[in-house]
Amino acid sequence: MFDVLFIGLSLSSILLLVALGLAVTYGAMGIINMAHGEMVMLGAYVSVLANIWLGANLLVAIPIAFVVTALIGLVIERLVVRRLYGRLLDTLLATWGIAIILQQAIRLEFGLSFFGIHVKGLGSGLQNVPVPQALQGTVSILGQDLNAYRIFIVAMTLVLAVATWAVMYRTSLGMKVRAIIRNPGMAAACGIDVKRTNAITFALGSGLAGVAGVLMAGFKTVAPDMGATMVVDGFMVVVTGGVGSLFGTIAASGLLGEFNALVAMVSNDIIGRAAVFAVVICVILIKPAGLFTFKGR
Amino acid sequence: MKTLFSSYRVWAYLAFAIVILALPLIGDEFWLNRVAKYLCYGMLGAAVALTWGYAGILNLGQGLFFGIGAYAMAMSLKLKSYTSMQQGSETPVPDFMLWNAEPGAPTDLCCITPGSWLWIPFQSQWVGLIVAVVLPAVFAYIMGRIIFGQRISGVFVSIITLALVLLTRLIVTDAQPLTNGFNGLTDLGWFTVFGVELDPYSKVTYMVVAVALIIVLALTRLLVATRAGTILQATRDSDTRALYLGYDVPAYQSFFFAVSAGISGLAGMLYVIVAEFASPSFLELSFSVTMVVWAAVGGRGSILGACIGAILINMLEARVSETESLVEAWKLIIGFVFVIVVIYLPKGLSGLAHDLMSKLQSAPKLSPVQKEEAHQ
Repeated sequence: MFDVLFIGLSLSSILLLVALGLAVTYGAMGIINMAHGEMVMLGAYVSVLANIWLGANLLVAIPIAFVVTALIGLVIERLVVRRLYGRLLDTLLATWGIAIILQQAIRLEFGLSFFGIHVKGLGSGLQNVPVPQALQGTVSILGQDLNAYRIFIVAMTLVLAVATWAVMYRTSLGMKVRAIIRNPGMAAACGIDVKRTNAITFALGSGLAGVAGVLMAGFKTVAPDMGATMVVDGFMVVVTGGVGSLFGTIAASGLLGEFNALVAMVSNDIIGRAAVFAVVICVILIKPAGLFTFKGR
Repeated sequence: MKTLFSSYRVWAYLAFAIVILALPLIGDEFWLNRVAKYLCYGMLGAAVALTWGYAGILNLGQGLFFGIGAYAMAMSLKLKSYTSMQQGSETPVPDFMLWNAEPGAPTDLCCITPGSWLWIPFQSQWVGLIVAVVLPAVFAYIMGRIIFGQRISGVFVSIITLALVLLTRLIVTDAQPLTNGFNGLTDLGWFTVFGVELDPYSKVTYMVVAVALIIVLALTRLLVATRAGTILQATRDSDTRALYLGYDVPAYQSFFFAVSAGISGLAGMLYVIVAEFASPSFLELSFSVTMVVWAAVGGRGSILGACIGAILINMLEARVSETESLVEAWKLIIGFVFVIVVIYLPKGLSGLAHDLMSKLQSAPKLSPVQKEEAHQ
């Protein structure tokens, strides 16, 4: 039973990793960023490239990935997302286009493959990143042998969740963001630069996705289409938890991850995933606003 | 002016009908088979435009209805396939069921694999045909009643439909003994109408698809022009207001949702007749989003526009894909086109055409006063 719970915990942590960034962008800006999974993918590729070209290991790649994906997020916000505020469904479509562009950019090695130039670490093939020595092997907790890297991911997810919470609830930026979540018009009237704050928020969410990507590179094969399914999972978590509620996102990822693991134990992995979708549909039908929401006025 | 304005649309529909009916004169059977597939996609585009453009419901799970239609027809055609008669039983049994059967299970549809009895009615192709259209419509109506009855709207509907199609895909892939899982249904027989077998590579089959598309387009266009269609557009613009005016908003939304699902089922059914396979790839998220891309490029606000958008994009894609190195680049182009269309051309190509037509028509009709103003 303990091992199943641990599998559930590690599934939850992966869900949360993807969902954290989404919770920030979707909650604050009402932007459905379908390219979020591709941000995760880009983060994973940063760790691949850092490993090949700089000899840097996974831990060093984390801050690099954060900066790179945050900058890319900033560019996307400026060029596309900014023009679509208030057109919620259109952002979904435009960012889907961006997702395709990003995937193809990696596949075609930024277009260099047309000229016969190949960059090691890019292209349509699969990539791998070695896990640092210290995180390999298993650790024994309560008489159970647990994968050390999985524990590391759970711990890192907790750190990131706390960091996100601290940014949202203990900084002036976070206060502005929360004001915008409640009422963008009123926030602007109070002198908050909504556009600027939104740009930073989008960059922050993208950066979080990048970090998630680095962590995932440690146990998943890295490929250009690895992000495609993640964004769906992330959205399910955010919507189930309640838009704009960080606590809701955390709780929902825990619930869905554990539920997935438990159903998968009594049937199989496919049915486990299917059950998660079924739960999400039921939650939206019964409580469209999500499980944990603040009382709006 | 008013009559001119409405007539150019009628002309557009007529021109489209004449063009697709005339294609057999210029193309060979293989090319026509390809075009017939695109016409099915065109039908899908129209279905998306009906819910998205006219009802304001972005369904990210349209592939679910297409998939139901495709699987229903494929089950019937699979039982008509020569491979199904070679399993050593009196009645047809799909070959993959034998591979998945428990040792000692009787070779009969009743009980060869768990749930295989579900296939029994599909021994008649007409059952397949009816199920392909009616099941998606009924399912969509019930779904719509629940979703819209709860007054769920906007992105939440998209997420529910998206979750539903992915859920169905997982179940279909998991039920290997019943659906052949990942591999889908292949080696299908031919549909027969009045003793004529619909060979996918024949002009007859192409004409069947083309006529079906024209009928669907005409009926859908007439449907949205009715009073019910107008009320539907009112619910899109402000559902609260429509509700307070006394209209049963969920009923209208569910009805059109069901019509769109039925059209998608029909498209899936025809696609199987032409393409001779059904697979879980119809239920993938990317396919459902691709349909939305077609409708967006063609113009979500126009049934015909979305249909033409779907056909054009697929024709272009086929042309481009003939060059090996351009296959990946094509996806890149589609990505860019999509971003640009969403930002700069929210009404798509049909919106562009519409603006052009109204400019052309209004230019010579300026009153003297307006002309003077224009000169100044």
